[in-house]
Amino acid sequence: MRIEQISRMIKAFPAMPGAALQLLTLANAPGTTVQQIEAVLRQEPGLTANLLKLANSAYFGIPSQVGSVRQAVLLLGLKRMVQMVVAACASAIMDRGVPGYDLPAGELWRHSLAVSVAARGLAGELKIQAADEIFTAGLLHDVGKLVLGQFVQEDHAQIDSALAQGMSFEAAEAAVLGIDHAAIGAQVLAQWSLPEKIVHAVRWHHAPESYSRIDTLLDVVHVANMLCLMIGIGVGREGLLHEPSPLVTRRLGLKPAHLEKVASQTLQWVSDLSQALTVA
Amino acid sequence: MNITVSVGDMKTGRNGDILVTHALGSCLGLMVFDPLSKVGGLLHAMLPLSSINPEKARGNPAMFVDTGVPLLFKSLYEMGAVKERLIVKAAGCGNPMGKNEIFKIGERNYTVLKKLLWKNNILLKAENVGGTASRTIHFEVQTGGVLLSCNGARGPL
Repeated sequence: MRIEQISRMIKAFPAMPGAALQLLTLANAPGTTVQQIEAVLRQEPGLTANLLKLANSAYFGIPSQVGSVRQAVLLLGLKRMVQMVVAACASAIMDRGVPGYDLPAGELWRHSLAVSVAARGLAGELKIQAADEIFTAGLLHDVGKLVLGQFVQEDHAQIDSALAQGMSFEAAEAAVLGIDHAAIGAQVLAQWSLPEKIVHAVRWHHAPESYSRIDTLLDVVHVANMLCLMIGIGVGREGLLHEPSPLVTRRLGLKPAHLEKVASQTLQWVSDLSQALTVA
Repeated sequence: MNITVSVGDMKTGRNGDILVTHALGSCLGLMVFDPLSKVGGLLHAMLPLSSINPEKARGNPAMFVDTGVPLLFKSLYEMGAVKERLIVKAAGCGNPMGKNEIFKIGERNYTVLKKLLWKNNILLKAENVGGTASRTIHFEVQTGGVLLSCNGARGPL
């Protein structure tokens, strides 16, 4: 059975590096000290250096040189800094090519970065307060594709005929394979013990209306994902075969100008950030 | 020589060059060719109007249809192309599923292109626009031939 094979692959999916997990927990705990952060960072060689490189990237535009973890926490804030560490760790597993979706090596990662920065940009443009986790949710929303890709490839004929009936790509995945990449991604992130907010945003990023609650973070990731596919970042076999939710559009008060303004800046943001995130 | 045109970019080429652009979603791909002087150009414009981000448009006019299209024609004229001979083809301008007007950047890109061409008395020789697929273009400047790839299928435009 396909679904059993898929379940086994989800269970066998690489674990999130320990340091990133510990930092996420620390970031959400009250009274965390810089010393605790430094201690966790020291566990993984190169992590402190990667973090400082990120903090100094053009994306954040911090005018002075960030030379220590203490300064990084001060200038970026603890939560934002932890998101950056997660990003540095995630790049290692998300950089490869994805069969089935026709994404060459590096393209899923570029799409992930783009959705993260576009989501933050949209929140700014819409002048809404979105949770700090929005960056990580954007970054990891498609992690399920890493599991599902080979199955999409093997069953591409059935997926094509489902698409020919007018289904969205994620509906075709679910119809043919029994599960879609969003549900798989959520299972992987739950396995990683990531905060619930992120897990839910990943689970419902194609179907925000099916989520039982209303979460601005989810709504913004839903829109940012669609926008990045439209402007050609990480758009492969699935094309634009998704439907942007009219309800989310209304909830956010989204106008064409918001989308287009963010689109005009996204490539620059991705380039600024990815230079600092190149896998060492 | 193979010349890749990235999103929000414009490149010209001469006899022997192949201009390539990938992943046209809602973006406009515009191919312009002069068969006599054998020069051609390819624009991959992301957004309809430069007024959304004038600062960006100053540094990178190819990002927008309203500044990118004139830039493409002007660059070709400087290389010896003549307006009356030009063969113009368009691809891309796709949209997501559903009726959500906010997300129809592809449609808006196409509308601005048509207005510009109409004002300048230029007709499209061929087009493959709209829909939900991601498209890739190979434009051979020697012959003016445009090859369109879409979901594994390839054919001339």
